Amino acid sequence: MAEITPEEITVTDFAVREHRSLWVDAWRRLISSNTARLGMFIVAFFLLSTTFAHFFWEYEPKKDLNYSLKLKPPTLIPNEEVPSVHPFGTDKLGRDIFRRVVHGGWNSLRVGIVAVSISLFFGGLTGLFTGFYENIDTTHIEKLFLFGLTGLVLGSLSAWIAAQPIQAIFFAILGVIAAYFKDFQKGKALRMVVFAIAGALIGAILGAFVSSAVALISLIWGAITGALLSRPLEGKFFSNVMMRLMDIILSFPGYLLAIAIVAFLGPGLEKGMIAIGVVGIPVYARLTRSAVLSVSQKEYILAAQSVGEGHGRIIFRHITPNILSPIIVQTTMGLAGAILSAAALGFLGLGAIPPEPEWGSMLGDSYRYLTSGAWWAVLFPGLAIMFSVLGFNLLGDGLRDALDPKLRT
Amino acid sequence: MTPLLEIKNLKTRFFTSEGVVKAVNNVSYSMESGEILGVVGESGCGKSVHALSIMQLVQDPPGKITNGEVWLDGKDLLTFSEKEMKKIRGSDVAMIFQDPMTSLNPVFTVGFQIVEALRLHNDMTKAEARERAGELLALVGIPGAEQRLDDYPHQFSGGMRQRAMIAMGLSCEPKLLIADEPTTALDVTIQAQIVDLVKKLQDDLGMAIMWITHDLGVIAEMADRINVMYAGAIIESGNVRNIYKKTRHPYTMGLLGSLPRLDEDPGAELLSVPGLPPDLLALPKGCAFAARCGYRTEKCLEEKPPLEEIDGREHAVACWHWEEIAGSK
Ligand SMILES: Nc1ncnc2c1ncn2[C@@H]1O[C@H](COP(=O)(O)OP(=O)(O)OP(=O)(O)O)[C@@H](O)[C@H]1O
Ligand SMILES: [Mg+2]
Repeated sequence: MAEITPEEITVTDFAVREHRSLWVDAWRRLISSNTARLGMFIVAFFLLSTTFAHFFWEYEPKKDLNYSLKLKPPTLIPNEEVPSVHPFGTDKLGRDIFRRVVHGGWNSLRVGIVAVSISLFFGGLTGLFTGFYENIDTTHIEKLFLFGLTGLVLGSLSAWIAAQPIQAIFFAILGVIAAYFKDFQKGKALRMVVFAIAGALIGAILGAFVSSAVALISLIWGAITGALLSRPLEGKFFSNVMMRLMDIILSFPGYLLAIAIVAFLGPGLEKGMIAIGVVGIPVYARLTRSAVLSVSQKEYILAAQSVGEGHGRIIFRHITPNILSPIIVQTTMGLAGAILSAAALGFLGLGAIPPEPEWGSMLGDSYRYLTSGAWWAVLFPGLAIMFSVLGFNLLGDGLRDALDPKLRT
Repeated sequence: MTPLLEIKNLKTRFFTSEGVVKAVNNVSYSMESGEILGVVGESGCGKSVHALSIMQLVQDPPGKITNGEVWLDGKDLLTFSEKEMKKIRGSDVAMIFQDPMTSLNPVFTVGFQIVEALRLHNDMTKAEARERAGELLALVGIPGAEQRLDDYPHQFSGGMRQRAMIAMGLSCEPKLLIADEPTTALDVTIQAQIVDLVKKLQDDLGMAIMWITHDLGVIAEMADRINVMYAGAIIESGNVRNIYKKTRHPYTMGLLGSLPRLDEDPGAELLSVPGLPPDLLALPKGCAFAARCGYRTEKCLEEKPPLEEIDGREHAVACWHWEEIAGSK
């Protein structure tokens, strides 16, 4: 046998190698897992069927009413009593439940997806920025941005109470001013007094347009905001302000807060999306933040800085792709949670406005008829909720296994 | 001629909740272009922090450069804004790090990362940059460089990753390459290969190299000059001959003594430095090494010895007793 030199081994080794990214590896692991495939199938089934139904199967809930077909059991073969096909039966208004479950899916899934998008977007950005700026020296432009953002977020609280969005913008401007004149009376009490008064004035003057009580609240909150903005806002401080806000949101029980927000905004699908979305923000913020904090310590971030890359590129080019795995998993699981929350709100009559179909509100409308034997009116929407949640959970589990960082070398 | 790198009274502090960590204390030295400088010292003595201070990449907060000047090629870096520093990093001074396993971003191909570094400082098209990246990988001795550009870091071995890091560091032909313990995480044969590679590259390209290490053996082979650091300060510096043959600081003697030598009587006792380095949170008033030093006197505990030039730039030592030590040898 011929002797093999080390060079030969390495050369052939290179030739047979393919260029596989971690994502491709993860995908292969995902599709090789049975539970993940089942989850994907269920999710795809629900997404496709409801989307097709929405666009190609007309349904006008307002005109759908037929008392003569009230609470008929599932009927596959038309007969005298029930002259049309109703595979899932009919509800208390004689509406076809199959049709309403399919169309209700469009609403339920949409609430879930939009709500999670809201949580993911705001929570993700919060986590990204707080995590990154926690331990980094900020440039002047970044200070303007961070101060402005802090002003906007703090201001939006009093703007919300006063129902005056413009307040938030003014507080954001105050933040930018505080950053621009960062050397003005640096570290002196005068600085704090000046900004607190400025904040109080913004709050009071704008609040006065609403009512004197609002003016008073806005004044107090404005003074606090101004005083906070007068501090030398380092990344750490920004991060603290944002995370304490997240803690405040998190300190309310999720459903209760969602119900409170809907009660405040009024019922409706969009309001439900916002409510569930807002409740979810801290979860994503914390998850993203902790991932960013750990990735920021990695040597490749330092290496990227050492070849001259700027903060923006580091955040979006180098950190973001490396924290995607836990976020993808959380988002998938979160979709299941959001669909459940949407159903809960619907069940309580705080979701879709009748007669819009929605799984939760269909349950809420029909559970009273269970005692009179109309099991089908709750079974099918209930199954739809159960299977969609199951689908997202299975997929989430599969994704977690596929993306498990411990499997990475 | 002005030196390539000149550091004057550099002080870097970490303001932590336990107190102020005095990581770099009054470091001053200079480097000529094309020179290889070795920086040695025990773990935690501030080697990395001082190098990061040059790049202004010290983690801030908690770290801050509180004093000093860093002149690189006639530019006063500490007065530079972050935006200006971004242009300097990578193009004038580049750095490679200790752990090749984590210093490449796992989600991008190796080629992509080199291309990115190239295009950051040079006006190049993607295709040009890619071609250059291939050349660079070939230059650092990665077989099949062209194909390997599309590999992900996890498909590289540790030694290859460190080579790729070196390629990235060299991509914009810096005047100064800082290598922070580039071989510590590698096994001995790979270490030797990397050392040879860097020596060869230095011959070909002529940049100055700062080689940070624990290993006095490696440094003896390749460096022109050596800075020995202790507790954030330089306690002995000079050319390799002087450091090895005319050692004047008891700490350096201890370090050298702890090197096993083949030419010595195998029965001879290995000298080493007993005790632990001082806590950088609470440095003693006098000489930082006094507590571990056999030559310690009252004066050592009371007054900090300055870095005294024995032989101009060729040899300097910070010890009250260096003459005594010279005499006793
Ligand atoms: N981010 C930080 N926060 C607080 N202290 C720090 C930080 N980074 C470094 N230090 C401290 O600065 C001192 C010098 O650390 P440095 O990393 O420069 O040591 P080193 O000489 O490079 O050691 P090694 O050989 O182990 O790499 C250490 O005492 C360390 O505790
Ligand atoms: Mg180090």
